[in-house]
Amino acid sequence: MTLEAYLLLALLLFSMGLYAVLARHNLIAILIGVELMLNAANINFLAFNYFLHLDPAMAQIIVLFVIGLAAAEAAIALAIILKLYRKHQSIDVDAMRELRG
Amino acid sequence: MNIAFTLPFAVIVIGAFLAVTRSNILHAVFGLAISLVGVAGAFLALGSPFTAVMEVLIYVGGIAVTMIFAVMLSSVSSPAERGGFLRKSLAALVAGLFLAGGSLIIVNADFGAGNHLSTDAWSIQAVGRDLLDRFNLAFESLSLVLLLAIVGAIVIVRREPVLPADQDDAPEEEAA
Amino acid sequence: MSHSTLGLICLLAPLTAFFTALVGFRNNHRAAMATVLLSGLASALCALLLLAQHSPQPELVTRSWIHAGGVDIYFGLLLDGKTLIMGAVVAVITLCIQTYSLNYMATDPGRGRFFAFLALFEWAMLCFVYSPSLMQTFVFWELVGLASFFLIGFWYSKPSAVAAAKKAFIMTRIGDVGLFIGLILLFQSTHTLDILRLNATHFETTRIELITLLLFVGIVGKSAQFPLHTWLPDAMEGPTPVSALLHSATMVAAGVFLFARFHNLFMQAELTLTIVLCIATFTAVLSSTMAMVAKDMKRVLAYSSISQLGFMLMGLGAGSLFAGYFHLVTHAVFKALLFLCAGAYIHHYETNDIIAIGRAGGRKLRIVTAGLVIGGAALAGLPPLAGFFSKELIIGSLGHGHPRIFVIGALLASFMTAYYTFRMIFLVTRPNADSEASPDQEAPDHEADDHHAEGSLLPTHAPIVLLTLGAIGLGFLGDSIARLLGQSAHHPALAEMAPAIGVACFGVLLAWLDFGRSAAAQNGFVSRMPAVRRLFEQGWYLDALYKKLFVGLAQAIAGLLFGLENRGFDGGADGIASGTRAAGRTAAKAQTGRLQLYIGTSILLFAAAALYIGLGASR
Repeated sequence: MTLEAYLLLALLLFSMGLYAVLARHNLIAILIGVELMLNAANINFLAFNYFLHLDPAMAQIIVLFVIGLAAAEAAIALAIILKLYRKHQSIDVDAMRELRG
Repeated sequence: MNIAFTLPFAVIVIGAFLAVTRSNILHAVFGLAISLVGVAGAFLALGSPFTAVMEVLIYVGGIAVTMIFAVMLSSVSSPAERGGFLRKSLAALVAGLFLAGGSLIIVNADFGAGNHLSTDAWSIQAVGRDLLDRFNLAFESLSLVLLLAIVGAIVIVRREPVLPADQDDAPEEEAA
Repeated sequence: MSHSTLGLICLLAPLTAFFTALVGFRNNHRAAMATVLLSGLASALCALLLLAQHSPQPELVTRSWIHAGGVDIYFGLLLDGKTLIMGAVVAVITLCIQTYSLNYMATDPGRGRFFAFLALFEWAMLCFVYSPSLMQTFVFWELVGLASFFLIGFWYSKPSAVAAAKKAFIMTRIGDVGLFIGLILLFQSTHTLDILRLNATHFETTRIELITLLLFVGIVGKSAQFPLHTWLPDAMEGPTPVSALLHSATMVAAGVFLFARFHNLFMQAELTLTIVLCIATFTAVLSSTMAMVAKDMKRVLAYSSISQLGFMLMGLGAGSLFAGYFHLVTHAVFKALLFLCAGAYIHHYETNDIIAIGRAGGRKLRIVTAGLVIGGAALAGLPPLAGFFSKELIIGSLGHGHPRIFVIGALLASFMTAYYTFRMIFLVTRPNADSEASPDQEAPDHEADDHHAEGSLLPTHAPIVLLTLGAIGLGFLGDSIARLLGQSAHHPALAEMAPAIGVACFGVLLAWLDFGRSAAAQNGFVSRMPAVRRLFEQGWYLDALYKKLFVGLAQAIAGLLFGLENRGFDGGADGIASGTRAAGRTAAKAQTGRLQLYIGTSILLFAAAALYIGLGASR
């Protein structure tokens, strides 16, 4: 397969994640969308490295770092969601509108 | 069509579709897990078994499970999807435009890509050596970030000690 | 020990002590004081050992710090005659003053902080003196000024002290601008920061004149020369040990030291030397007149410091490195001694007023009074004390190939110095309750005169005795100092010395007639001319003039701008303000608080850009 095919796959995955972020009410569902977008980026890293003959280990290490950071991000995000749930009795993103003008 | 590409492709798309459309949040998390297994397959096809294993271990084994926990702790009931259609179609429009624009760029761009790399070049040894040598600082920083994230998560969700006279905290107690 | 070890100990001991004392001063004054004292001892020992082991060639002990653009910026020590002598003087006097402060500051609630700042000052001053490069010189020149700011404003709850600290800082800063530009020009024309190499460079005349003039502006600020001298008398608001250490012996001498350091450069600039001579002579005379009428003991000494700094610059400007430098050393010793004596009186009688001190029985402090008399005699230039030799050399060097006016000015200042010094001495030692002199403030009565005598007086007396010996003996060390500087000591003939000795003796005699003899009115000849007295007392109205000139100018500009603002801008500003408020209220409606709307909007822009690029590429 070609590089373009993988890039299109990643783009599709990213767009689906974006849709989830934009359309869903549930904070956890939004978090799911973010994770999808992160994985799309990971696919891009590996694909570029695979086809463009760059530094072999570099992309893998970047992907590992992204996965690690995503784990940290998910832990914090879920903690915040739990806290918000306790405060608002809801995890609907529309309920968090305290910053409106 | 190449099975090493089409199979992960199908799994990713089906999983992601489930993840973004199911209104039951548990189903969505399962969809995410399926999609991530597909991503791991794509990693494998891109010649990196190590990251594929890590993907499954951390994402499917770690993050997805944590999400399920969170869903269960927040007594699941997903919010009613109000005002559904307009919101969804607008989101789909934006995402679709983004997809279209991106595809156009990708199709028209010339990346100068040649044959793919021989997979022998990226051994796990090379990754391990680089991780602890060239990227040692980043690696150690990441471990620190993870530690802080864990501690931070605990601090954030920790319940404030409830004073007996304090009536405001009572609803929170019921909620848990 | 090797020179580099000694040098490093000498420089790092005060720094270490500063941090230790700073950490400890809140709850353990004793520890802070002990650390600083130990570091002062270590520095003084190292500086003396370095002086004892000096080699005829300049020696560099440096560590590179930054290497940029072909220029090596390094820090370290340059060991040659000039730095070794000055370093030893600074370290020894600092040690004396730290010892003295043990008693002087014994009951002050901030004594830990005081000692910490003393250590900071010692570190900065030693680093400045031993500096091998322009960079280090400038950095520590400023740090010395900072330490001075802290120490003048040490009693920060006293508004006058705070104002004095600010004034000192700002006035010296005016000079530092000149210095900084001068250093930059110097670097630009030589591309080196190395002081030794700079001194060996030859410049074209106009360039070096500009550079040295700018350097001299910095010196004028730091060494309190006319017209930037007004900060030094005010700086006496600080504790007396500070005045002794910073504002007479060492810090204000930094400017003179800088002159000596770049003596070769100044010697190439004829015009600058003339200007230096003019300003130095004028300052020496001007500040002596002020000292003749001041009643505050510390102010008398402060004016005298300004005038003696003028003397040093006269010597250096006349081309005699040795004369100016020798006076710098001797002055550091006897002026520190005088300040310590003044501090002892002030501490004991709780007043600064000379007349009040005399009436309260000042001469009963025997050791202190002996120190005051000997230090005063040295300041007046009476043979065979330290000040005599150095002042003699300066007047001698002025006599060779310089216009008469400078010699006359020097002799006039010398006469006034003798007069005001002995005026002070006679007022303290021969009080006369019936005389016309009236103190500005009375000394508070003591029920028991020895209520200050708690603790040992050794820390007060030991430095005074040591410095007294220095004031007596230092004059005979001229030859060794000249050898260290690589100069030949010039021994003036008796005939050359006669006028200087004559005016000094005349000054003493006049002081005796006006203040000393038992029937004296104790009302000097200046005071009999009220207009002149007022002129002198007000410092020739320079402070008022500066205030009128600069503050008035600033206020005029401010007034003009205020009118413009009131009439012109206010209407417009109000319009803009109300317009902004309305616009804000409108724009706030877009802030829906809906996160997804924000993300969607920004992504939409991305998508549009992607489409634009993609379609453009496909065409």
